[in-house]
Amino acid sequence: MKAVILTITLLLSGCTMFVPVKRNFPEAPVTLMVKCPQLETVQGDKVAITDMLKTIVNNYRLYYECSNRVEGWGDWYVEQKKIFDSVK
Amino acid sequence: MWLLNWLPNWIFYAMGLIGVLTLVVTYFIKFLPIPFVYMYKTPLQLLSIAMIVIGTFMAGAIYDNEAWLARVKELEAQVAESEKKSVEKNVEIVEKIVHKEKVIKEKGDDIIKYIDREIVKKEEVIKYIENCPVPKDIIDAHNAAAAMGKK
Repeated sequence: MKAVILTITLLLSGCTMFVPVKRNFPEAPVTLMVKCPQLETVQGDKVAITDMLKTIVNNYRLYYECSNRVEGWGDWYVEQKKIFDSVK
Repeated sequence: MWLLNWLPNWIFYAMGLIGVLTLVVTYFIKFLPIPFVYMYKTPLQLLSIAMIVIGTFMAGAIYDNEAWLARVKELEAQVAESEKKSVEKNVEIVEKIVHKEKVIKEKGDDIIKYIDREIVKKEEVIKYIENCPVPKDIIDAHNAAAAMGKK
């Protein structure tokens, strides 16, 4: 009886299967990790319209820089998913 | 299968083969001139059948194990390739972002330079700046809008 149990245990131990292939989560580029800066405010009580305009232009620039990084995240995800799914 | 890591594959093939040979031999055991061997005919047959069963099972297990190992190797190669591709794609994406950011910065700087160089020198603008400073309410509204995302 003991021999039968031992044999069955040995044979069934063949059914244990694990996949020893480890996949690493892709590293995101540091450039994408940079946080978007705060928008600039206009300082002073008596402000010329041109100074205000420059602040506004600068804020538009900050917005476009940030949206560029957000688009980068989108591209990164799409491309990395494509690469991830290619492993079958 | 851990048993296959411990023992070489040929042992199981040999076990099956010995089982078959022993089973065949037991059918001719009665022709042997040694009578006490005949006593062991049934135990030997049982043993040989057990050896054939184990040998056959293990041959299947070896085949299965090798198929899995081949699959693991194939996957490892694919994973290595995908990791390489991932790094290359990252470089490509970063280059694209950095280039676009540079263009945005340059365009922003150009506009600010244009304001400093051209707009502030225009007569109507100078007149406007002298006579009409931006009202504080407008500045406050602008600043509130700019700071609305602050935590």
